[in-house]
Amino acid sequence: MTTPRVARRRAGDNPALLGLVGILAFAALLEVLPRAGVLPAEYLPPTSRIVSALLDEFGRGSFWQAVGGTITTWLLGLVIAVVAGIVLGIVIGSVPALRLATASTVEFLRPIPSVALLPLAVVLFSAPIRSILLLVVYASFWPVLIQVLHGVTDIDPVARETALSYRLDRWRRARYLVWPTTLPYVMTGIRLAASVALVLTITGELLIGGTKGIGERIAVAQSSITVPSMYALIVVSGLIGVLANVATRRAERLVLAWHPAVRREFPL
Amino acid sequence: MSRALGRAGLLLGLPVILLVTWWFASAGSKSFYQPPLETIIKVFPATWTAARFRSDVLPSLGRLFLGYGLAVLLGIVLGVLIGAHRRLRALVEPLLEFLRAIPPPVLVPILILVAGLGDPTKVLVIVSGGIWPVLLNTVEGVRGVDQVLADTCRTYRICGWLRMRTFILRAASPQIVVGARQALSISIIMMVIGELLGATNGLGYTVVQFQRGFEIPEMWSGVFVLGLLGVLLSLAFTLVERRVLSWYHGVRAAERSGR
Amino acid sequence: MLRTRFIALLAVTALAATTSACGSDDSSDAAPATGGADKVKVGVIPIVDVAPIYLGKAKGFFTKQNVDLSLEQAQGGAAIVPAVVSGQYQFGFSNVVSLMIGQSKNVPIKAVANGNNATADAAKDFSGLLVKDSAITRPKDLEGKTVASNTLKNIVDTSVKDLVRKDGGDPSKVKFVEIAFPDMAAALDANRVQAIFVVEPFLTSAKAKGWKQIGSFAAVSPSLQVAAYFTSQQLLGEKADLVKRFSAAMKESLAYADAHPDEVRQIVTTYTTIKAEAAAAMTLPKFAPDMDKTSLDTMSNLLVQEGLLAAPADTAKLFQ
Repeated sequence: MTTPRVARRRAGDNPALLGLVGILAFAALLEVLPRAGVLPAEYLPPTSRIVSALLDEFGRGSFWQAVGGTITTWLLGLVIAVVAGIVLGIVIGSVPALRLATASTVEFLRPIPSVALLPLAVVLFSAPIRSILLLVVYASFWPVLIQVLHGVTDIDPVARETALSYRLDRWRRARYLVWPTTLPYVMTGIRLAASVALVLTITGELLIGGTKGIGERIAVAQSSITVPSMYALIVVSGLIGVLANVATRRAERLVLAWHPAVRREFPL
Repeated sequence: MSRALGRAGLLLGLPVILLVTWWFASAGSKSFYQPPLETIIKVFPATWTAARFRSDVLPSLGRLFLGYGLAVLLGIVLGVLIGAHRRLRALVEPLLEFLRAIPPPVLVPILILVAGLGDPTKVLVIVSGGIWPVLLNTVEGVRGVDQVLADTCRTYRICGWLRMRTFILRAASPQIVVGARQALSISIIMMVIGELLGATNGLGYTVVQFQRGFEIPEMWSGVFVLGLLGVLLSLAFTLVERRVLSWYHGVRAAERSGR
Repeated sequence: MLRTRFIALLAVTALAATTSACGSDDSSDAAPATGGADKVKVGVIPIVDVAPIYLGKAKGFFTKQNVDLSLEQAQGGAAIVPAVVSGQYQFGFSNVVSLMIGQSKNVPIKAVANGNNATADAAKDFSGLLVKDSAITRPKDLEGKTVASNTLKNIVDTSVKDLVRKDGGDPSKVKFVEIAFPDMAAALDANRVQAIFVVEPFLTSAKAKGWKQIGSFAAVSPSLQVAAYFTSQQLLGEKADLVKRFSAAMKESLAYADAHPDEVRQIVTTYTTIKAEAAAAMTLPKFAPDMDKTSLDTMSNLLVQEGLLAAPADTAKLFQ
């Protein structure tokens, strides 16, 4: 914080490189702890064994199919949740009466866990992928909605006054006032929803099965006592999360280039 | 007076409409997993007795408050640190994203080894889920502080704790509050997940036990309790938020009335 | 609730096109396939117990009965019963206690074929109650101790309680905690529990640590029927013939599996990632071709004793 805000880009300042260092340090820690006997290697194998199990998985066609299946379910669920969350959030958030009317219902529905909805999700649909999607959409919709609801009310008073004095119409106010204010909240909402959706996709595959995804492979690895492959599959889930974050950060840089949070780091 | 009545009408209108619709839509339902609302309401008093509240709901609430409190505290502290230091953020962000995407159920064996089967594990599960919205929002809030204000602070040589309290935390607080609100419902969900592991009592344990025992109306009554818990906690949250963010709501309200 | 349905509806309409374009899972109804065979989905758990159905499929026993079988794996039974009741799957694999409890709550299901049984030898079963502490030598010693059970109020804790009672102990003094089979060894290793009840392949791997066995399913009752394949009353009413053919194929598969343990060990390595040498070392369950009425009644009486059932299950009606 004390350094000047003008980005000083030195060799050791590359964010991607630093991030890699962070991950590698964590991997090294998980290599050392089991080897030193702090954690039992039988239940938490050292990183090197997980990596070699991961490389084994890379060589299997069925693994890539599973990755593809999981990513498809995840993206589908995420897109539905994000679009629904943004649209409903802006509509509800801009009309105070609607906001008041829906508040208790939203708060009632939000904390209902997917495990409780599992039988209903299974009964409602004939295809397993749809049951899983229901759980994914249900869980990841709320983070987006809540972020948008708060974002919409965070409009700067001066900016609103200005917009009103310039007599911007409803559409333009939405476009130039509401949307830019909400966007940082939306981006955080998407990042939250992305990981919730991924967790739910894999949990759904684990519990419901029938879609040949990573979760199903985790279930098989668990019941076959192949601990390293189980962790290898969990690592895959984590890696998908990292990639999702890289993608949302990229998008953020494009759509939020003007925002102080982004501007500071990536000078225009 | 009539305004208050209108407000109450707005607050209760939708839930009443939904319940009535549900009542009639589900009346006479033969589907095993979608019992009539009437049945669910009928089993409610016998299911959620005072004894059950003491034996199952109270222990759950204790774990919930502890886990939620820790999640918010850790989320804010780490969030301010990570948000304020660009290089630290670059260093840990991919790692945090990695950890965030790991489904909690698969971490069970590690949790058993590290924290055992008792309450610490269940609290840990709540923290592991509830921390992310607070952390992410705090980081973004701190990153997004106003440049002009930051420069002003520097000009006046405001630094250290004073700067943190009067500027950074305050500027980031609207977003921190969103995170804390998000974390509330996620903590309730994680409370249920945590009770799937080595549990012998608890609200989540009860609901899942009903589901496994094919006591579907009782299970739905448990879902009701979870939902009501969410509503109550969110009301309490709003009260606290009004105090903590009074300056913020004041600014926004002044702006609204001035329109 | 309604919101859920609404979102569900949203999800369906939005996805109807997309998912069917992906096309992998859409033809789920038991509609006759092009070859005239009935397409059937069976919900199973990826464990040794379901080897016969995989073997029967590989041997063509189901094709012979004009059943086009596809096997869907799920982690546990949580989703299988609702999936069968709703018709997502036509058949499912479940332990007999869940089925009996389901029947008592009027879940519209019916068992149509045997699943697997304990062996005849209490000391050499596919399941085992294991302890680490050498001071615990018999089930009675578990009084005041904590035992890991895969689910509570189900077949495992009921069996352990029966063993304690038969040994002259008080089962109400044993504490049970819920831990999934794969996580049990870690819990006992870390002394979080004093005893675990596991099935293969976890049993062999746990015994290799020198842990002592003091009980099993077979000790409750030799050849105890542990699980069954079941279907919904609806399918039974609409396609009684299909159910009959499935049962016949299943019966043939069970008999074949019981007679060919080497092929069972081999097929297990195809749908799990159990290594061949681990598969060779496992104790296999018994695969009786028919359901075991005696042991089902034994179990039903135990459930009544534990208060999990109000009255003995109508085993004759539930299990054909």
